[in-house]
Amino acid sequence: MTTAPAIAVEGVGLRSRERSRRVQAFIVASLLALGVWQLATFVSDGWVPSLGRIAAAFLEDLTTVQVWADIWVTFRRILVTFSAATVIGVGLGVAIGLSRRIAAFFRPIIVIGLAIPDPVYIIVAILVLGTEESSGLIALVIALVPFVVNIVVSGVRARDQGLDEMSSVYRLGRRRYLLDVLGRQVAPALLAATRTSFAFAWKLIVLVEALTQPRGIGAQIYYSFRLLRPDHMISLALLFIIVLRATEAIVFTPLERRLLGWMR
Amino acid sequence: MPARPDGNADYIRVAGLQVSYDGTTLALADMDLVASKGDFVAVLGPSGCGKSTLLHAMSGVLQPQAGGIEIGGHAVEGSMGSDAPLIGYVFQDHRLLPWRTVAQNISIVLHAAGVPKVEIEDRIERYLTMLQIDRLRDAWPMRLSGGQRQRVSIARALALQPAVVLMDEPFSTLDEVTARLMRQQLAELWQESGQTIVFVTHSIREALFLANRVYVLTKGPARVLEVVDIPIERPRRYEDPRLTELEGQIVNRVMSVWGYGEPEFEPTNQERQ
Repeated sequence: MTTAPAIAVEGVGLRSRERSRRVQAFIVASLLALGVWQLATFVSDGWVPSLGRIAAAFLEDLTTVQVWADIWVTFRRILVTFSAATVIGVGLGVAIGLSRRIAAFFRPIIVIGLAIPDPVYIIVAILVLGTEESSGLIALVIALVPFVVNIVVSGVRARDQGLDEMSSVYRLGRRRYLLDVLGRQVAPALLAATRTSFAFAWKLIVLVEALTQPRGIGAQIYYSFRLLRPDHMISLALLFIIVLRATEAIVFTPLERRLLGWMR
Repeated sequence: MPARPDGNADYIRVAGLQVSYDGTTLALADMDLVASKGDFVAVLGPSGCGKSTLLHAMSGVLQPQAGGIEIGGHAVEGSMGSDAPLIGYVFQDHRLLPWRTVAQNISIVLHAAGVPKVEIEDRIERYLTMLQIDRLRDAWPMRLSGGQRQRVSIARALALQPAVVLMDEPFSTLDEVTARLMRQQLAELWQESGQTIVFVTHSIREALFLANRVYVLTKGPARVLEVVDIPIERPRRYEDPRLTELEGQIVNRVMSVWGYGEPEFEPTNQERQ
């Protein structure tokens, strides 16, 4: 007969085997991608930089102070647009999710907002507000808000109405309801919205910087393109991706663990 | 059954209550109910007759189209004042916050009711112990069994020390053995606490076992068909033959009214007389 500790040990063994399989799959996929890339360098007349050249450019950028200054400029812009889009989007999303009247007013605007291609926002903002830093950031916030609203509205609408009733019966009050009942229910959607907002902000800010700004990672990538230095284009992008992934790991993952820990 | 010796007659008064969800179709039609302070009243009716609607209206969540509800001399309305009597509610499905531990689920309600901080811990301890779930105080609701969750839900309602506890078929989703244990426990708790309970159920035996008085409703839109006093001393046994006899009488009475045709049961001796 199998005893409880034996089952527990078996469970740990299964999890360990599963993890090992995932690591193996990751290594195989990475090696395959690197192999394909290296192959491409042989058939592209030098336009696709070799892995060695990319590594050298990466080391050079890593030790260049100006690159870190540009990373900080882009990072600050992402924080501003991401924070503004999240705050506006969450507020609007909760209001639309809770009120049919507000939904009736904003829904068509959100639908149109989602359908407009992002570069259109940027171009219109540049035409109307000029090439100031703020015009690009405003365009990005306007482009991001519909995405955040859409995710938050879905979360609010999928809430457990029974808990609304419980809050009402026990007179929990508006603040407790928003923070403890509704807020916690839509937390997974909010996290998804913030992650989406963060990822989109990064992609779009690079475009804005390339088009309008002298500083920032996007501007430097564009500059490397004009100087025909594809190895630096890739290394700069890699460097910034590492910074963003680190930010996600430091900020979002612990937040997620804290908010959704009860699910485990 | 008359009011308990220490109670106030007509502590709860529901008069001519009419409720409709859409403004045209009635869920409750001309409903009357009275309960003394410390009374245990069961509301018995077929599924979908409007029993839960009655509790919603009594808790102030639902506005009636006509009629009124008074609890302890206060009219129950949508936004009751701070001096309005506290109401505890045990739902059919526990409705605990899954992201709060057992103790936190109780404390959030006590905080909202303005219970002093120093008293909250005491109450949590006392009511969890009373319901024999004190070892679960730091557990997440999703880790609990259905019976344990419902015990937490009852502890939450009682810890508030409300004027009235409304219970909406709280044991209907539990297995029969757990449900019987819970009924027994609830009967004992009620005798200890002396709180006024309005208990909604579609189980005749459950209503008879628990309550002092049973309001038998028609099918929806509900109105009172009959009020039955239960003159059986406590503690009661679930298998008590007197309960069986009363159950038979009620079944015979409601068969045609609830839409199941004429009764096929033999009348009891008491009915023959």
